[in-house]
Amino acid sequence: MYNEYQITYTAQNTYEHWVDKAYWQFMVIPWEDNSQKNVQVAFENSMHFPMEFSHNGYGFRTLRCHSVDPFKEITFKAKFSFLKMEDNPFSFVPNASISWEYEQLAQLTHKVDFDQFLKRTNLTHLPSPAASLFTFDGEQSIFDNLLALNGWIFDQIYYTPGATDVHTTLKEVLDMRKGVCQDFTHLFCAIAKDHGVPARYVSGYLNQDGGFFGDTQMHAWAEAHIPGVGWKGFDPTNNILANANHVKVCHGKDYTDCAPLKGILFGQGENTTTHSVSVHSQQ
Amino acid sequence: MENIESQIFSSYQRNPQLLDELHEKDGSIKKVYQTLFELYGQHSIQDYVNLNNKAKASFFNQGITFQVYGDNTVQEKIFPFDLFPRIIDPQEWEVIEKGSLQRSRALNLFLWDIYHDKRILKEGIVPLDLISTSANYLDQMVGVDPPGGIYNHISGTDVIKHTDGQYYVLEDNIRCPSGVSYVICNRTALKRALFGVFNHYKTFTVTDYAENLLELLESTKPKGVDVPTCVVITPGMFNSAFYEHSYLAKTMGVELVEGRDLFVENDFVYMKTIKGPERVDVIYRRVDDLFLDPLEFKADSSLGVPGLFSAYKKGNVTLANAPGTGVADDKAVYTYMPEIIKYYLKEEPILNNVHTYHCSRPKELEYVLENIRTLVIKPVDEAGGYGISIGNKLTDEQVDAVRKEVRQNPRKYVAQPIMSLSVHPTYIDETQSFEQRHVDLRTFTVLGRDKQFVLKGGLTRVALKKGNLIVNSSQGGGSKDTWVLKI
Amino acid sequence: MLARVANNLFWMGRYIERSEHIARYMNVNYFSSLDAPNLASQDRQFVLRSMLFMVGAPETNDEKRVDEESVLYSIGLDPEFPSSILNNVKMARENANSARDLISTELYESINKFYHYVVTYPKEVFVKNGLHDFTVNVTEMSAILRGKIRGTLLHDAVYAIILMGVNIERATQITRMINAKYNDALKAQGSYESKFSKSFEWTTLLKCAESYDMMRRYYKKTPTSISTLEFLILNPNCPRSVMNSLNQVYKHVKIINPERRYNKESTAFLIGRVRAEYEFKYIEEIEQDIKSFIDNILRSLTEISNKVEEEFFEY
Repeated sequence: MYNEYQITYTAQNTYEHWVDKAYWQFMVIPWEDNSQKNVQVAFENSMHFPMEFSHNGYGFRTLRCHSVDPFKEITFKAKFSFLKMEDNPFSFVPNASISWEYEQLAQLTHKVDFDQFLKRTNLTHLPSPAASLFTFDGEQSIFDNLLALNGWIFDQIYYTPGATDVHTTLKEVLDMRKGVCQDFTHLFCAIAKDHGVPARYVSGYLNQDGGFFGDTQMHAWAEAHIPGVGWKGFDPTNNILANANHVKVCHGKDYTDCAPLKGILFGQGENTTTHSVSVHSQQ
Repeated sequence: MENIESQIFSSYQRNPQLLDELHEKDGSIKKVYQTLFELYGQHSIQDYVNLNNKAKASFFNQGITFQVYGDNTVQEKIFPFDLFPRIIDPQEWEVIEKGSLQRSRALNLFLWDIYHDKRILKEGIVPLDLISTSANYLDQMVGVDPPGGIYNHISGTDVIKHTDGQYYVLEDNIRCPSGVSYVICNRTALKRALFGVFNHYKTFTVTDYAENLLELLESTKPKGVDVPTCVVITPGMFNSAFYEHSYLAKTMGVELVEGRDLFVENDFVYMKTIKGPERVDVIYRRVDDLFLDPLEFKADSSLGVPGLFSAYKKGNVTLANAPGTGVADDKAVYTYMPEIIKYYLKEEPILNNVHTYHCSRPKELEYVLENIRTLVIKPVDEAGGYGISIGNKLTDEQVDAVRKEVRQNPRKYVAQPIMSLSVHPTYIDETQSFEQRHVDLRTFTVLGRDKQFVLKGGLTRVALKKGNLIVNSSQGGGSKDTWVLKI
Repeated sequence: MLARVANNLFWMGRYIERSEHIARYMNVNYFSSLDAPNLASQDRQFVLRSMLFMVGAPETNDEKRVDEESVLYSIGLDPEFPSSILNNVKMARENANSARDLISTELYESINKFYHYVVTYPKEVFVKNGLHDFTVNVTEMSAILRGKIRGTLLHDAVYAIILMGVNIERATQITRMINAKYNDALKAQGSYESKFSKSFEWTTLLKCAESYDMMRRYYKKTPTSISTLEFLILNPNCPRSVMNSLNQVYKHVKIINPERRYNKESTAFLIGRVRAEYEFKYIEEIEQDIKSFIDNILRSLTEISNKVEEEFFEY
């Protein structure tokens, strides 16, 4: 059963001085797979600069734009429509043997295959070993442990818009006990990885009709890989599993791989960007 | 003979502890050098001083220089050039050539593997940790098939001859190895100054480098391109190797571009010419990975081209060398070279590796800390001879400082026994005489689609400071013309 | 050819030509003034002010005494003075550096030698007694460069771009010299025996343009204002004339853009138009109002240069 979705993404950029030359790359297009399909994209900008589709280094679709004339402000607007499958994230067949799952994690081939999502990055670096924060219960399945981790992070960190920015480290987050969806996600990935479970950062949209946390921009959650099951989405900001309200755009090691907007400016002075997102679904 | 010797080599002092390229062990002149020795002996030292000054002026006027940045000034320096050539006999050269090629091929296969199936890691032959902690491994390169299957189109292999008479590789350079322009300039300068000596030796030419390089680069053109347009990309004229970049572009007859001359549209790369955009298919890049594309890597880089990496991933342009090759010339990977060669090529390594202690391994770290005085301590990821400590040259305080640093950052360091580089008679300006100086050799290997080329010669670098073992130009090194003799 | 590199080549040509004209202007004015037939032209202050005027940095305070050594230094070797010969040569070489892969080794080596000559010339020697030696060498080295440009480059787009730069600059410098000398002739008139039209300054002007001998051969008379201007502006066979320079610019732009189609937006069209304007002018028209003529031609040359930039160097 599919829901029809409409998402509008707007980015308004204003600059202190005239900018001679600029390039932008947006990574905001919903990812296409079995659960999200028929993605239609309409894109425009207030300066009528040429735009084109491409892919970033990890193979996710991007929208690119470069300036033609000098400008002081520019607004980008993207509209997406697509179909999203309604499914129950709990409906999967668990592994028969719990110990088998952990044995898999310990295999060298597993470590090599998932190295990208097991290695630490600056943003998923824990100030102390994960075990001092959250321990895995070896009697429980990996999935159950991750579920518990999801809840633990939800309890530990208070969702506080504006408390952090894209450079905030986990040490700062853990000290403040405040953060936004990125920080929840980074913490989830860091702890999962430290326990040998491959985990990745997911950037996307959240349908907030259900009253979920998240702001009016893009949302972030995590995916963890369970042997025999595959990648499962966890949203620690809301203590839920990723479901039909989560529209995935891309994934990566951390926020750096998934930045929705990258801009390169040849000019001086400050600039400000405001993003806004609206998500609608009709059944 | 006695008389000749007294003119120019009279004050030459031979330290029997060192391996001298000119002499046999018993002190007699090696056969390949005999004619040269006699010919040079016919000159007075004053002749030699004059020739040397002329050669220097010629380098200077041609602008074959590198810039040294001071507080407010930029000084132009010539890369010191020595008029007494180094001769490599055919048998020795065969070993060096085959060995260099073997290493380049093995490294290419290694790179393919670690960006695809990662078999060598899964089989535990090279530790996963080496790759996953390397800052030079690019996740974006996973699964990318570089055109022609080539990653390290150009490799520079640094080889030395130890006192045991064997050649050892000190380092593989497969990011943007430089120095090849000096090989050719040295030959030109020597021909200008002492053309007569070439009448007595049958030496392989080195001027065919550019044509071979272009042919091999073109052989790795993207799919669907008939006659590829090739360019050289440089960080700009303020880069210390700019002369080489412009030299290579000129001798290959291709454009020398900067990032701002290129742009990407619909994942194709174009250069901005006076007649509008022209498509570019093969880029010999002399810009480091992280500066190639600000949209993908360092956002504040103005040297690169926004969108270049996506064009590369789509297979619409060739980058030589491929991005992400730096992971394999890491000094920690170096230590696995014998295993890497055996694994992919099923061959025994032709050139020796210097035994390396990994400070990241507790046992080896202990050994290193206890035996610092007999070892060279090197940072894993620095180029240009920076951060190297040579144990027997350190004061007690320096030893303590190095110990402390290594103990704190063991992953950052490796250590090797102190290798004694062979020495070669070298003209020294200050004393106006010939003295023994340590030399190494950088060979240049080019890989193309089913073709390969090793430059018959290479850059012999000389450590001009007495007793110094570090030959890099940034550390006061010079160079010599290097002759590979035809049989 | 890359648009950026074409820009470098164009400016390389301009800077080489510019340094030559400045050097010759210094030389000729200084040394002809030593035995000039009238007092005004002999006055050292007059000569130094003329040099400053020519390089676009006139001393506006008539009362002030300008210091000989400092004027010579700033126009010759001052790294802080943007129009100094030193800076022009430096810029020529910097532009050559960026286009190094496109020009011949011989040309590059000559530019490099030129640069090292200027940059190491001792300041003390220059301001005391090196003026002649230095300026003569600068003019000769630029002549060598012109020879290397002509003799060692393929006569294709690279060559055409450089020569467009050279000729636009030549026309500009000749016009600037006319302007400066016109100014001098006005100032010098009224003094003993010197009418504007027969001013000694016209002889100096011709020598500054290396055209004195040819002019004498052509007119067989002492130069007057009208014959000098006619020769330097309108005579298409005088290699330094504005007309000849414009013809050269036109010839070379056609190499870069051989298109024959009517396109009023093109550089070739603009150059052709300016050229046609001067081709059918007569000198009496110009002489009536030299000031406006100079302003007009300088404006046209700037327009041409901007147009070249727009059409070929900017993408």
